Amino acid sequence: MREPTLDLRPIFLVIGLLLSTLALAMLLPAMVDLTARNPDWQVFAAAAAVSLFVGLATLLASRTGPMRLSLRQSFLLTALAWVGAAAVGSLPFAFSTLDLSATDAFFEAMSGITTTGATIIADLETAPPGILLWRAILQWLGGIGAIAMAVAVLPALKIGGMEMFRLEGPETAERVMPRAAGVVSAIIFVYLGVTVALALLLRLQGMTFIEAVVHAMSTISTGGYSTTNASLAAFDSVTIQLTVLVGMVVGGMPFVLLLALFRGGFQTVRRDAQLRWYLGFIVASGAAISAWLWLSRGLGAPAALHHGFFTAASVMTGTGFHTVDYGNWSGLPMAILFFLMFVGGCAGSTSAGIKVFRLQVLLANARVQAVRLLSPNTVAIPYYNRRPVPEAVADSVMGFLFVYALAFAVLAMLLGLLGLDFVTALSSAAAALGNVGPGFGDIVGPGNAYAELPDLAKWLLAAGMLLGRLEMFIVLVLFAPTFWRS
Amino acid sequence: MVDIRPVLYVNGLLLLALAVAMLFPAALEYAGGHADAATFVASALVSGFGGLILAFGNRPSARLVLTTRQAFLITTSAWVVAAASAALPFAFSSLDLTYTDSYFEAMSGLTTTGATVIVGLDTVGPGILLWRALLHWLGGIGIIVVAVAVLPILRIGGMQLFRMESSEKSEKVRPRVSQIAAGIGTAYVVLTVVCALALWAAGMTWFEAICHALSTLSTGGFSTSDASIGHFGSPLIEWIITFFMMVGGGTFVLYITPWRYRRWALLHDSQIRWFVAFLAFFSLWLAFWQWAVNDATPHDALRQATFSVVSVVTTTGFATTDYSAWGGFAQTVFFVLTFIGGCTGSTSGGIKIFRWEVLFQIARTHVKRLLHPHGIFVIDFNRQRVSDAVVRSVLGFMVLYFFAFALLSIALTALGLDAVTSITGAATALSNVGPGLGDLIGPAGNFKALPDSAKWLLSFGMLLGRLEIFTVLVLFMPVFWRP
Repeated sequence: MREPTLDLRPIFLVIGLLLSTLALAMLLPAMVDLTARNPDWQVFAAAAAVSLFVGLATLLASRTGPMRLSLRQSFLLTALAWVGAAAVGSLPFAFSTLDLSATDAFFEAMSGITTTGATIIADLETAPPGILLWRAILQWLGGIGAIAMAVAVLPALKIGGMEMFRLEGPETAERVMPRAAGVVSAIIFVYLGVTVALALLLRLQGMTFIEAVVHAMSTISTGGYSTTNASLAAFDSVTIQLTVLVGMVVGGMPFVLLLALFRGGFQTVRRDAQLRWYLGFIVASGAAISAWLWLSRGLGAPAALHHGFFTAASVMTGTGFHTVDYGNWSGLPMAILFFLMFVGGCAGSTSAGIKVFRLQVLLANARVQAVRLLSPNTVAIPYYNRRPVPEAVADSVMGFLFVYALAFAVLAMLLGLLGLDFVTALSSAAAALGNVGPGFGDIVGPGNAYAELPDLAKWLLAAGMLLGRLEMFIVLVLFAPTFWRS
Repeated sequence: MVDIRPVLYVNGLLLLALAVAMLFPAALEYAGGHADAATFVASALVSGFGGLILAFGNRPSARLVLTTRQAFLITTSAWVVAAASAALPFAFSSLDLTYTDSYFEAMSGLTTTGATVIVGLDTVGPGILLWRALLHWLGGIGIIVVAVAVLPILRIGGMQLFRMESSEKSEKVRPRVSQIAAGIGTAYVVLTVVCALALWAAGMTWFEAICHALSTLSTGGFSTSDASIGHFGSPLIEWIITFFMMVGGGTFVLYITPWRYRRWALLHDSQIRWFVAFLAFFSLWLAFWQWAVNDATPHDALRQATFSVVSVVTTTGFATTDYSAWGGFAQTVFFVLTFIGGCTGSTSGGIKIFRWEVLFQIARTHVKRLLHPHGIFVIDFNRQRVSDAVVRSVLGFMVLYFFAFALLSIALTALGLDAVTSITGAATALSNVGPGLGDLIGPAGNFKALPDSAKWLLSFGMLLGRLEIFTVLVLFMPVFWRP
């Protein structure tokens, strides 16, 4: 069957809507800067005007009848939406008093919108408040975008086994609401509610209003942009750090389950296999790191537990906040954190990475394969969450792992070719793909800015972030020759 | 319950063979008037005695027919028991190694890994040096036989693709496995002799030539000097070894097609083509890096890069220069190359080229399927369709390989090693390469300084990688032992 030529109008329609939304969002930092009497408000106002103009123009030029997206349009739309948002989101950085180059501004915006949290800006303390808020807003919007994509788009496109999370269909256990659109708008309310709650809690514990809002936004989105380069270490308060810890863990949970929780579906949440493994991973790695801090670094037990769990949760959910500089840890915690960068949070959360449910599918499938080796005629079926895993899903998940490993290897080698050292190349490639943020070592470790890297490395890492956020295949599909053939 | 008598019987035969092999270094030590002649005779007596008891105590009354479970058990136990026996000469010798060190050295030898705990090889007696090379060589032919005769039947990691009985197989060289094994054995011996002669002609002593030929064809990597091949400082020797490492990393079944069937299957085999293309690609990149960044002359750059790339991809582990000092790019590339491995049915370890071929096609068809959900896409290997079962085995193998790598790395750091040593050590052990990266276990380093527990873990990693993960893993499943 031949598909008709790719009709770009519906795609531009949505992109136009997105740009207009971003333009409106830019008015918030503009107002903040205006009240702080910072001349940067003009930059935001101008960027908003430009975005709004471009957005509305695209919108009006591409009006069509009722929207029905084909498969190829969906792929192109999803990829273009993230790239377009990053491009528009970089405008305020490029024109602000920070005077970033186009490369740096795009990196910062891509790192924000993909909720990565790797920053270019080396002296955040002196940055205008509008910029700090804009970075957090990008992450917050990116976070809700990621959830919406995981609930509504990825299952339909069958990316990496995500069809397991299709909302319609008879075999779905957590059928919270009949239609994706309804679910997404309900999730937005939950997301907004949790953010407001976090912001209030942080404000009550002594953060300024702007700090509380920024940290609430970048915590729930597992982004990791802070108001200082010292990140959470700058706030010498155990309760603040614990609040953020809880916020990060919530951000890495499937938001459909959070929704179920608010609707009283406690059983569904308690029995969810992915959530259990997710929490199990955090507890196990947090405990191991705490033990190391206690035994090898001589920290007191409370401090060791506090920093150990915070760091484990921060890296696994892909947030990238830090309370201590973990970049110079060696041995056990470094290896654990390195592999946690690949694990990531749950499917349907704001975090990226391979995701916990894929690891579960992979393990269940491996066990079944081993059983089949012993008795070839046995009917052995892998299970996930008490449901049989269709063969197509198992294949998709394994294919996803391969492409992820391949992307990591190629990215790390290319970064090495640009002159980065072994630890920097490996850890920044993993941190970009997993949308974590900081890597290890002196250059890209926590508290350091990516500013020193060569420009080409920044573009590569930005591409890596996009690849990780779009679960590899959405980007890869665009490079298939058959995609563009009509 | 599994009947373990046939398992013990085969292990007994294996011990007898090892006892006979120990007589070669014994004779060499005796002829040279060295100290360790008695060591080897004593070890041979212990192994031979144990072998006799096992073999005669469990001699089957009729023709030996194995069940699947027994085949799994034999394959794994053969390597474990052989390493235990092969460790004896190291433990008894004048080197005075602990049994942990000896077992590590023996396992590293038999799995053709090439990671060593012996410091000061240049002063070690010839018997020990020959024994290390012999272990590589025996381990090498052992794994070829396992890859040709056992793994396809056990359906490990897609190896059923190489099943001999299958009527559509293009490499159906000879109908019977035992005949093929004999042909491969001959090819292996002939190639080793040719390699030894070439090395001798290029300036090695006859002893060095034999040792290096044994550990080159088996893609092992034990040398007679701490400086490995760099000791000889001869470009000719390096090119000869580069060539024979490639030969060792190729599919041995293909080497017997020309003179059996007058068919140059070697030239049309897709795995060999990918293998050579892959080696050429990375050699050129690294040569370019060496030339542009580290100011090597074009010829030096090409020679060093080709040697190191071939050494790591074929999982040999010889070194001419310390490539970990080449900079970030080279370190990253060598770390990635550790996972690649040679062709199936070769002496090299790693994930292997044919699996990468299948994996790349899986990724490509996956992308196509996303665009055309109802399309039908076929994955082929050597112009033949690959069944879904094989595709899944290959994917499952890759998954377990990465899991094993991650767990082994974390376990090593828990024993106190630094992260780079652990991560590269885990990779190098699983892929049977030899050296890792970092100051401790890099190409210029040595595994001596690691804690004992880490040596046992790495030995286990070598075994796991050598037997393609699943063969060992099934033994740890409760289902295996249930009647």
